[in-house]
Amino acid sequence: MRRNGLAALLFSTLFVVFMIAPLVVVIGVSFTSTGYLEFPPSEPGLRWFRAILTNPDFIDAALLSLELGVTSATIATVLAVPAALAIGREKFPGRDVLQSLFLSPLMVPTVVLGVGFLRFLTLISMNGTLIGLALCHAVVIFPFILRLSLAAIVGLDQSVEKAAVSLGASSLTVFRRITLPLIMPGVCGGWILAFITSFDELTVSIFIINPSTTTLPVKLFNHITQTTDPLVTSVSTAMILFTVCIMLFVNWLYGLDRLLIGEGSR
Amino acid sequence: MALLELKNLTKRFGDVLAVSDFTLSVEQGEFVSLLGPSGCGKTTTLQMIAGFETPTSGAIILNGRNLEDVPARKRGLGIVFQSYALFPHMTVEQNVGFGLEMRGVAPAERAGRVRKVLELVHLDGLANRYPRAMSGGQRQRVAVARALVIEPDLLLLDEPLSNLDAKLREEMQLELRRIQQEAGVTTVLVTHDQSEAMALSDRIAVMQAGELMQVGSPFEIYERPRSSFVSTFLGKTNTLAARLEQVTPEGSLLVCNGVTLKGPPANFLPGPVEVSLRPERVELTDADNAVVSGTVSERVFLGNQWLSKVNTPIGELLMTRRNRGSDEPKPGDTVHLAWSAEHLSILAADRSRLT
Ligand SMILES: Nc1ncnc2c1ncn2[C@@H]1O[C@H](COP(=O)(O)OP(=O)(O)O)[C@@H](O)[C@H]1O
Ligand SMILES: [Mg+2]
Repeated sequence: MRRNGLAALLFSTLFVVFMIAPLVVVIGVSFTSTGYLEFPPSEPGLRWFRAILTNPDFIDAALLSLELGVTSATIATVLAVPAALAIGREKFPGRDVLQSLFLSPLMVPTVVLGVGFLRFLTLISMNGTLIGLALCHAVVIFPFILRLSLAAIVGLDQSVEKAAVSLGASSLTVFRRITLPLIMPGVCGGWILAFITSFDELTVSIFIINPSTTTLPVKLFNHITQTTDPLVTSVSTAMILFTVCIMLFVNWLYGLDRLLIGEGSR
Repeated sequence: MALLELKNLTKRFGDVLAVSDFTLSVEQGEFVSLLGPSGCGKTTTLQMIAGFETPTSGAIILNGRNLEDVPARKRGLGIVFQSYALFPHMTVEQNVGFGLEMRGVAPAERAGRVRKVLELVHLDGLANRYPRAMSGGQRQRVAVARALVIEPDLLLLDEPLSNLDAKLREEMQLELRRIQQEAGVTTVLVTHDQSEAMALSDRIAVMQAGELMQVGSPFEIYERPRSSFVSTFLGKTNTLAARLEQVTPEGSLLVCNGVTLKGPPANFLPGPVEVSLRPERVELTDADNAVVSGTVSERVFLGNQWLSKVNTPIGELLMTRRNRGSDEPKPGDTVHLAWSAEHLSILAADRSRLT
């Protein structure tokens, strides 16, 4: 392998520093015992982590976000897998258009999506409901699951399915016993990526929540606009920890690099 | 009645005529190979028999029954794919048992039949392995076992040995023949490898550009090719352009580059023809008995034999001779060549289809 030049090394270092530095500061500040943001903390302590426990608003918001993430990721998966099967397998007119349409939530600015969802939910009187929120999140995270499922399906050797057919399996049996188990790693990877995306989605949510459906990111955002105590940093630290745990779990399950590159199949 | 009959089978993909008016019958217990260069329509033919491609026209008849309206999963054929197509998330036992499970065979009987077929392919003891933990040759055997366990009327093999290295391929050729004979299953094999087709088959069907060129036993096809395509595709040969001058019941006379050659009786009218002469039929002789004389231009030692190129008045001739440990003519030497008249094959000059 070619050794990296000095400039490339410098660039990579700066890149990593810019990525990591905010996290280090946030995590550092969260361990302060003072009532204001201080870095590095002069007297480290767990004061602001205990504060989370005495703040039921945050805990409710976290539980809501969790529920929202699971619901929307599941809705999106149930819809994305058949779509991926059709796009990855069948040749039909308008296939490319359909694929672009399904991936378009990645392209449209989230602010625009947010305004659109708000209008739409108001129109069908579902504004502020959890299910409305989950449907909107499902749209936003749909492309993630579609891409990973598609990669898994395209990577699957079709003669494996033909072999099952020749042995007497019906289409449904082939899907249940052969196709689904083989694309499962890709589908699960997509689900988890989608869950994480929903879990810290802010822009779209701001438009469509009401006080009874405040998600954790929105709650944090509102908190910062009112006060600046270290509580936001301890909540953020907890969120980072949660995400890292999921990522470690996924990595242990499938290998993270493969997931992010989009090669879902084993 | 033949077990399998292909009648005027034709398949078009848009403008591409992949298989054209293909007619062939396969007898019960027979091993037939479809042999031809890549892209000549072998796989397409097999896929039509299997039910994964719909013929543009023509009929496929198995056991006297037209398969037109029978879907792939109801045809009950055993298929071995080029990539083996094993189920990677199932053990060998589950892979092989899958077809029986689909047929609703009870677990106890299933286990017994799986065990028996694994014995047949010499894989006993590996029932609980996953395909990824097996070698290419072993996966190949699993694929064959999985296709055989359902006791199919017909076994279809698409280039089954092409993913194996040369040595293993030769071993598996013998294995495949043994397994086929022990199971007594009628088999259609697709291959582009003429030595594989010759080693395995009762009959070979040579294909070119979607058309059937010639069908016959390996010996027949090798010895009596009816076109220059068939003669060059099966083994090495010398192909010469000649003119057929005279045909009598005893033999024929040909003129090639001004040299008169004796040939076997032919059922052609006098005119331009092609003549094929196998390199191993060319012999060294003395000047008096020579058909042609020439100069050796190249010589290659192949271990069991010598391959020489000789420049003669009728063109460049390849000659192979068994290595008997004695010296062979060197490049630059003058040699005298002869062969007997019946070893010339007279072929129609233009590509013609004969069945
Ligand atoms: N699904 C398909 N669509 C279009 N053309 C095809 C398709 N399958 C095969 N062909 C064409 O048909 C011809 C025969 O292909 P194939 O049967 O795979 O040949 P072989 O197996 O002898 O190599 C080729 O020219 C190939 O390009
Ligand atoms: Mg092929």
